[in-house]
Amino acid sequence: MQRRTFLKTAGAGTVIALAGCTGDSGGDGTSTEVPATETDTPQTGTPTVTDTSPSGSLTVATYDSFTGEGTAGNYLKSAFEEQYSDVTVEFTVPENGVNQYIQRKQQGAPVNADLYVGLNTGELVRADEELDTSLFEHSRDQLGRRDAINTELEIDPEGRAVPYDTGYISLVYDEDAVEEPQTFDDLLEPAYENGLITQNAQQSDPGRAFLLWTIDAKGEDGYLDYWASLQDNGVKILDDWQPAYNAYMNEEAPMVVSYSTDQVYYHGEDVNMARHQIGFLNDQGYANPEAMARFTDADQPELARQFMDFVLQPEHQAEVAQRNVQFPAVTDAELDESFSQYAFEPPEAVTFSYDQLKGNVEGWIDDWARQVVSN
Amino acid sequence: MRAWAERAVLPAAILATLATAFVVFYLPVLGVLSSAVVVTGELTIGPVLDVLRDPFYTGAAHGIVTDPLAVPGNVLGWITGGFYGVSFGLFGFTAYQAAISTVASVALGLPGAFVLARFEFPGRRTLRSLTILPFVLPSIMVAVGFVAMFGRTGLLNDTLGAVGLGPIEVLYTLPAIIIAHAFYNAPLVTRLVTTAWESVDRRQVESARSMGATPLRAFRDVVLPTLLPALLTAALLTFIFTFMSFPIVMALGGLELATVEVWIYDRVQSLNISEAATLATIETALSLGLMYLYLRYEARQRTAGGAGQSLPRMALLRGIDTLRSPLRLAVLAYGLLAAVVFIGPLASLIIESVTAPNGAFTTAYYEFLLAQQASTAVGTTRPLPAIVNSLVFGAGTLFLAVPMGIVVAVLATRGGRGSRVAEAVLSAPLAVSGIVVGLGLLQTVVFGTVLFGYRLTAAGPVAIVFAHAAAAYPFVTRNVAPALGGLDERVSEAARSLGATRLRALLDVELPLIAAAVLAGAAFAFAISIGEFDSTVLLAEGVDSYTMPVALERYVGNRSLGPNLGPATAMGTVLLAITGLSFVAIDRLGGRWEP
Repeated sequence: MQRRTFLKTAGAGTVIALAGCTGDSGGDGTSTEVPATETDTPQTGTPTVTDTSPSGSLTVATYDSFTGEGTAGNYLKSAFEEQYSDVTVEFTVPENGVNQYIQRKQQGAPVNADLYVGLNTGELVRADEELDTSLFEHSRDQLGRRDAINTELEIDPEGRAVPYDTGYISLVYDEDAVEEPQTFDDLLEPAYENGLITQNAQQSDPGRAFLLWTIDAKGEDGYLDYWASLQDNGVKILDDWQPAYNAYMNEEAPMVVSYSTDQVYYHGEDVNMARHQIGFLNDQGYANPEAMARFTDADQPELARQFMDFVLQPEHQAEVAQRNVQFPAVTDAELDESFSQYAFEPPEAVTFSYDQLKGNVEGWIDDWARQVVSN
Repeated sequence: MRAWAERAVLPAAILATLATAFVVFYLPVLGVLSSAVVVTGELTIGPVLDVLRDPFYTGAAHGIVTDPLAVPGNVLGWITGGFYGVSFGLFGFTAYQAAISTVASVALGLPGAFVLARFEFPGRRTLRSLTILPFVLPSIMVAVGFVAMFGRTGLLNDTLGAVGLGPIEVLYTLPAIIIAHAFYNAPLVTRLVTTAWESVDRRQVESARSMGATPLRAFRDVVLPTLLPALLTAALLTFIFTFMSFPIVMALGGLELATVEVWIYDRVQSLNISEAATLATIETALSLGLMYLYLRYEARQRTAGGAGQSLPRMALLRGIDTLRSPLRLAVLAYGLLAAVVFIGPLASLIIESVTAPNGAFTTAYYEFLLAQQASTAVGTTRPLPAIVNSLVFGAGTLFLAVPMGIVVAVLATRGGRGSRVAEAVLSAPLAVSGIVVGLGLLQTVVFGTVLFGYRLTAAGPVAIVFAHAAAAYPFVTRNVAPALGGLDERVSEAARSLGATRLRALLDVELPLIAAAVLAGAAFAFAISIGEFDSTVLLAEGVDSYTMPVALERYVGNRSLGPNLGPATAMGTVLLAITGLSFVAIDRLGGRWEP
């Protein structure tokens, strides 16, 4: 397989030298990569081992922590390659995520990938707003598993992006230091002064989700006032989840915006569980589904579709959920019981839909950031 | 024939330097910045004016653009109103924090240079080599080190608490950012000034003294003129770097203390490229303008000297007598402060790398590194290739950036009219936001550029080394140019009158005389390469040419030991150890050529 990897990389136009620049012909968005044998004819039913025998190389663009030892990505790769012995799954991990592909499309550069894994609603909105022709193509109605998807997690009215798991944004708090806040207004009380660390909604997924959650709770006209009060009460807004959680673990504040699956990582005899309590404000959590979508310019659209169906199988959904520490996106995943012991679902999930975010989300975040900086 | 070839070398080197800088720096950066001044194919200053007249960006100064005639009246009103507090917006705050950071860095770095240049003590040379360490540390590691050192439950407060003092709460305030900026930049001050101080010719000081000058007078007339260019260079670079600071501001200060660069980063994230480019253009214009003014000043200040034996060092420790010398006590007090600011965060980082979330000792994070190394799973980032790549790229950068930097220094000091402008323009890699460079490289080099119907792309080791060299050569220039300018021109004129070519005179006469400055520049070039992240991560993509900072960043996102920074801190410790050893080796090897 090593040789194939090399050929693919070279064929895609990556030249391992600057001085001797050579390129592939055309520059028209097509890659020179040619699978060993042509893919089977398109089919719409649930793929099983027997009815087709796809082959070729599938390039999956995703984020860093989806691949590597023990991750959901590597599990899926092994399982998929085991089921279809003529298929190779390759991961590519662009530093700037889906932006890389939006920019490639804007500049007419080749996309060099078949499937994107790890898309959220805001990113899909951005891709559509930036581009005249869609970066992604429709998949949902071609999936055998389409009816198993939890409809609440659908993020794309056009069925291009299909959810494969979801997280819920919640508070994680130290019950030895503070009582559980019940509502957003509680956070403005003196008891929670200098008590909360969150993340910059401009840069961080949970930070953005928390901001959207406050917009859902306080309304488009009320959230800025709410945040002004929150700032008066000493909220800290750090750049990303990691520094924020690190600060929380170092007891810089008794509450942090994080995920409701926190205890999956932190349980057992030597862990102080008091510091890993989950707080659902207003008995809610903000759902942040992760989706996958096929590129319009994919070389292997059919193989990508089969991979999507594969990810949505009950047994694979359970593996993805547990390895990614998220909740499954289908209604019939076969989860271990230990998972639900530590992963909490909010009584009510809130989230903004694609149509609600479209045309709004950038302005909401911009107004918020300007206010925070100016205060 | 040989002389002809030698005459051709220098112009050829200049051309090669310009070509390299053009492909991996100017072309990508201009591609991005042009979207600030070119809208739908037409040249315009509209977007720049939009930013300048937005009070959010420029505060009270927006009136200069929107209503210039009212400015005198407003200023008068402000004076008669009793100098009430005025906000100058995002740009104003950014400049303000950069100015304080510069003062703090100089205050912390200058005594260090004094100690390293004027005293002798065990471990002095090693300490001098290690001063550059903070320079290569990724900001996320500095944030980890700072929280563990200065946090509520950090080492400092624990220590203060034990003697009944404290606690001090400094995180997420402006002082935290200032201290972190000093952590990064005071070593720059120390390093540059130490090199200059060591180049002071002892004979000049001695002859001044023998002619009756007081020690203070000899310092003012002989030592200070040599130190000042280095000190001002360091201050200028510190100001520019802290003006463009971004991850450290966000990790230790929070959004309330955002700088212009934070805003640029966010505009790029939301693909609002033209506004990002506009902000970056203004930022770059400010930095380059400052650089140009400084270079003009420096050109006037150049004095002959710097080619003799350095000043004799005093012994720092004299047994019990040490405690009777006020100067030595002050030095020891400074040492304590430096230990808190520099060793504190670094030591805290190392402690974090062996501490489990529950506070117990653990070797799990180092075992994680070993497991990564042993893993055969695809997509695994292994520590050993990261170390090897970092060192290879560092060495490659050194071999490219040192000649490039020297060539630009020659151009700047011997080029005649316009050479100041040339040097300012060629110093641009110091003055352009790393975010913009990264974006530019992505658009031109990674996505490829269509030429004659072919899409040319480049990635991998060679592209990385070229990008690093473009980022690093201005540091070499900044070290070499003042020293070269300070050389007595009669020395090289004598060589040339004896028939040496320009190149021979440079290689055989001038460079050996300023070996210390060349070596200092080389160390910076290596450090820049080791610490570089923005371009490396783009060009390493899809190829196994990741470096230590890139590996570290990937371990930050690795969840196999739970969502903690342990694996990253272990990698950070490895990064520190490897770079520390490298710098000691560079200084020891290079020291053989020092006079």
